Amino acid sequence: MADAVAAKVIATLASVKRIPADKISLETNLQEMGIDSLDVFTLIFELENAFQISIPDEEVRSIRTVNDVVEGVRKLIPAIPPGASVGTGTPAD
Amino acid sequence: MAPRRVVVTGLGIISPLGLNLADNWKSLIEGRCGIGPIESVDCTTLRFQNGAEVRGYDPLAHFAGGKDAQIDRFAQFSVVAAREAFRDSGLELTPGLREQTAVICGSSVGGQWAIEIGYQDLYLHKRGRVHPLTIPKTMSNAGASHIAMDLGFSGPTYTVTTACSSANHAIGQAFRLLRNSEVDLAITGGSEANFAYGFLKAWEAMRVIAPDTCRPFSKDRRGMILGEGGGMMVLEPLEAAAARGARIYAEICGFGMTSDAHHLTQPTVEGPTRAMRGALKDAGLAPEAIGYINAHGTGTPGNDPVETRAIRTVFGPHADKLGISSTKSMHGHALGAAGALEGVATILALHHGILPPTVNYNERDPECDLDYIPNQARRMKVEAALSNSFAFGGLNAVLAFRAFPR
Repeated sequence: MADAVAAKVIATLASVKRIPADKISLETNLQEMGIDSLDVFTLIFELENAFQISIPDEEVRSIRTVNDVVEGVRKLIPAIPPGASVGTGTPAD
Repeated sequence: MAPRRVVVTGLGIISPLGLNLADNWKSLIEGRCGIGPIESVDCTTLRFQNGAEVRGYDPLAHFAGGKDAQIDRFAQFSVVAAREAFRDSGLELTPGLREQTAVICGSSVGGQWAIEIGYQDLYLHKRGRVHPLTIPKTMSNAGASHIAMDLGFSGPTYTVTTACSSANHAIGQAFRLLRNSEVDLAITGGSEANFAYGFLKAWEAMRVIAPDTCRPFSKDRRGMILGEGGGMMVLEPLEAAAARGARIYAEICGFGMTSDAHHLTQPTVEGPTRAMRGALKDAGLAPEAIGYINAHGTGTPGNDPVETRAIRTVFGPHADKLGISSTKSMHGHALGAAGALEGVATILALHHGILPPTVNYNERDPECDLDYIPNQARRMKVEAALSNSFAFGGLNAVLAFRAFPR
């Protein structure tokens, strides 16, 4: 497992698709693992809660693999100003 | 083209009386009551604590790949019941038949859970956003749409929502589509899942829920008990069913619908009377042919005497020979699914020659002076039966079924 962000993204994906996390790697193609447009909406919602970030629509269009998601999330995490409340959800949501 | 005769060749049900058809029938004839303390909602701040919930249901056993989180409980019940009904029919779909198959469902409140979880997120937890699938989970047609997608039916598909008459209106519509040769197959019924705190509070405010249990037609009745679940039936033309050697449960032969045009919650005698007469006329049945009525029988002080008077008006002296029961005493009032759960009970009663009872019946009420099959099922072959549904808003829908073979 690469790092904490990747692990959390993979755990979120596994939870959305109800599959074991060890079936997912960074190279996994989202379409091939059966992620459809509704799953993407659900995934974004869960990632926003898990990382307390807000994912803009334009960030979503280019994702193909799990790694695209991880890198997209990583870009958004440092963008949060200290103390700002972007999302009030908790990782357990 | 002459009107076609329409028969029931498949049944599916999930209810407080069981997770499948066999368990439901066993409970119905044993007179088992599915009412108990509500477990899915904290009821400490409610005036009533009892309901008829579907227990032991595991969404993950039915929906893979995260679909369980994308489909509201009410729509899951539709799909679970529809899959069972279709399997039970033994039908094999051809591409041509797929396009000629209607899916007509009833639901009163649709995705009530999804709405309330969204409101909790917004107003209680101050999250500022709701689950992205709140809209498609909430919509009342989700049940019909998920059945169509799951089983691959691409004919006319829609949901009827007329409160407690929803499923009967839906089944009646499907029956007419088939009788008029507009489609060649239909899957129809209703589903509901309404155990959500806000909705229960709204029912509490109506002051019609019993604090104890549901005792239809009994003098000590104190109101209705909410239920949930889904019931579906496969309807097809008699000719097609006979040609493929299908097992035929019963013929669906009549449908009557009226409006009281009177009051939102106070029923009239006249509206249900005309609906029952309409179903009999539509079926070409004399009142004397009816042996069993699955009553609307909510167990409220208001409904039961009015329904009794309507039955007396329609049937005259024959009313005293009818076996009448309210199976709501066992599975509760499942609102938009009520007619579906009760339609399945009525069809199986005709098929097996056993009439399910009205349980929790304690005491004769002078205003409810018919034979309500108290507490114990009755072995009795009857020629034909009615299934009554009367809704808030004064909307009445009555289905007529005939035993098969005649």
